Amino acid sequence: MLKMTDVKKVFRTDLVETHALRDFNLHVKEGDFVAVTGPSGSGKTTFLNIAGLLETFDGGRFELDGQDVSDLNDKQRSQLRNQKIGFIFQSFNLIPDLNLFDNVDVPLRYRGFNAAERKKRIEHSLDMVGLAQRMKHLPSQLSGGQQQRVAIARALAGEPRFLLADEPTGNLDTQMANSVMDLLKEINANGTTIIMVTHDAALAKQAKRNIYVLDGKVSEVGKSATANHAHLAAVQ
Amino acid sequence: MSKTTAINWEVGPIFRALLRNKVGAVLIAIQIAVTMTIIVNSVFIIVERDQQMQRVSGLDEDNTFYLSSLGFGQNFNAKVSIQDDLNMLRNLPGVVDAMQINAIPISGGGWSMGLQTKPGAEYDGVGTAVYMVDQNVLNTLDVELIAGEKFTPTDIRWREPAQGDWPDKIIITKALATSLFPDDEWQTAVGKTVYINDIEPMTIGGIIDQLQAPWIGWDKVENVMLSPEQMDQDSTRYIIRTEPGRRDDLMPQIEELLANSNKNRIIKGMRSLQETRERSYRSHTALIKILSTIMVILTIVTALGIVGMATFSVNQRKKQIGTRRALGASQGAIVRYFMVENLIISTVGVVVGAMLTLGLNIILVNVFNLDKIDWYYIPIGMVVLWLVGLIAVFAPAKKAANIPPALATRTV
Ligand SMILES: Nc1ncnc2c1ncn2[C@@H]1O[C@H](COP(=O)(O)OP(=O)(O)OP(=O)(O)O)[C@@H](O)[C@H]1O
Ligand SMILES: [Mg+2]
Repeated sequence: MLKMTDVKKVFRTDLVETHALRDFNLHVKEGDFVAVTGPSGSGKTTFLNIAGLLETFDGGRFELDGQDVSDLNDKQRSQLRNQKIGFIFQSFNLIPDLNLFDNVDVPLRYRGFNAAERKKRIEHSLDMVGLAQRMKHLPSQLSGGQQQRVAIARALAGEPRFLLADEPTGNLDTQMANSVMDLLKEINANGTTIIMVTHDAALAKQAKRNIYVLDGKVSEVGKSATANHAHLAAVQ
Repeated sequence: MSKTTAINWEVGPIFRALLRNKVGAVLIAIQIAVTMTIIVNSVFIIVERDQQMQRVSGLDEDNTFYLSSLGFGQNFNAKVSIQDDLNMLRNLPGVVDAMQINAIPISGGGWSMGLQTKPGAEYDGVGTAVYMVDQNVLNTLDVELIAGEKFTPTDIRWREPAQGDWPDKIIITKALATSLFPDDEWQTAVGKTVYINDIEPMTIGGIIDQLQAPWIGWDKVENVMLSPEQMDQDSTRYIIRTEPGRRDDLMPQIEELLANSNKNRIIKGMRSLQETRERSYRSHTALIKILSTIMVILTIVTALGIVGMATFSVNQRKKQIGTRRALGASQGAIVRYFMVENLIISTVGVVVGAMLTLGLNIILVNVFNLDKIDWYYIPIGMVVLWLVGLIAVFAPAKKAANIPPALATRTV
């Protein structure tokens, strides 16, 4: 369960104040698959960063799994992030100098698992994304779609409750994007709550729930992607 | 069995990542190795030189000085002049004692002879410095007789200018006694006969605690023999010991008194023992200063090199660091990452450095006759360079830890 009530986020620079989120309200239930769409600069990434404890917020209330996170210190936030949240990024963010095994190992080491446990989890999650045979390869030896699969394996190896994805298919062609989407749906079917920011209406449609962010607010919540589609068209 | 451990140091992945980015790391490791080599050998040389400088000559150095008297003309009578001078000096208020002597300890110039325990040219002698002294030697040179008997006035003879033989009785240092009779207690040397010029016998009448030879670089610098004789020479040298604090005002006074007491000679070469020590050890002092400066500069350069490389790699890996933070790394884990990375590089550096250190020492031993380095310098040097590395990498590591986790999603 993830619950945001009137969450605000202001970025201040010397010249301007940007209200990236204004009274952002959202309640994501356990096991949901939420697709977040909205125009560029509307605050989608900001929302995802706050949801994933990568960024703090300036007002309102945010509960993750029933826990108010506003008073946590950096170490506690890191720990919570490590245990409950898996991240997938648009540009994969694999560590170029580490092979697939070591890449998936990164969050598991921060978790403090012992070597045997880590090995089991790495092999299992790489197997799940179909790349167990290429454990010793470097990210640069893989296609974009394969790299994103490794990133998904890395996000899932610690068995997080939430998977947060910021335009996970943004750098992929349609075919690869679809296969990544299939994988995410499968993961969601296995019980992981997913929040995915995307610009791709066709993919958003496949999620269980769609929200539309405009100007730092959730402007519309719907199950149907067609509404979003219309909205996107209206904005453009 | 527990599935978790307290802290994961990530040594394996950090090492494997380093192997894929060798150049910078190898350069820093080489720099650490070279720095360690030079620093450890320098410290060893400095300590050695410093220990040499700490050795005591045996004299009351703060209150002792010497000068030369050069007689000329037919009217100059060396024997009379020496006796008059010594009478005058010994009765002067503020003077503790004074004596004619052939050479000055730690001054650089003097006499040496070989002594042997059996007569005959086929036996090897033990080298020793020779000081020709009179019955006032113990008081003038501030040395202590620790066995046997001191010289009495009747023991003292005049050595004529061309005379080549030696007195019957000598006093030697404890160190010389040990050199001559390595298998016996030093006290038992008293009364024994030693031979000079291969066959000429002399009896050891007494043993003094300590007195250094004129040559500070000689490995037997403590080997000294006192020969009871005054030298009948127009040109002679007096060594004068004053009461504490009186040296500086007595020096010009005595110089003038001696010059005026006999117009057939000139007084020159007056110098305090303190100045003599400074002159003799000048190259030691200079070497210590140069090596210390080199050490400081090298350490700073190496530390800056580490800071530079770490800063560069932090800047290059900003996104990776943000990603690690997003995946659950605490700030401490990021600091730890750079510390461990630095430790791995330093460890390669100091291991190579240990070998280079020994290599350079072997060269110094062979070419410059230095001593072999004590083993414990190596581990101490390794630890010091490890620490230098850790201190140097700390600021860049802190900087890395402050990279915001949001960087993972904010940059493409
Ligand atoms: N670190 C920051 N400093 C200042 N302003 C920022 C910062 N991050 C985001 N913003 C601003 O906050 C607003 C929301 O940005 P955000 O990245 O959340 O938008 P987005 O919906 O993810 O856009 P996109 O679809 O282009 O990724 C924008 O106006 C952006 O310029
Ligand atoms: Mg965005």
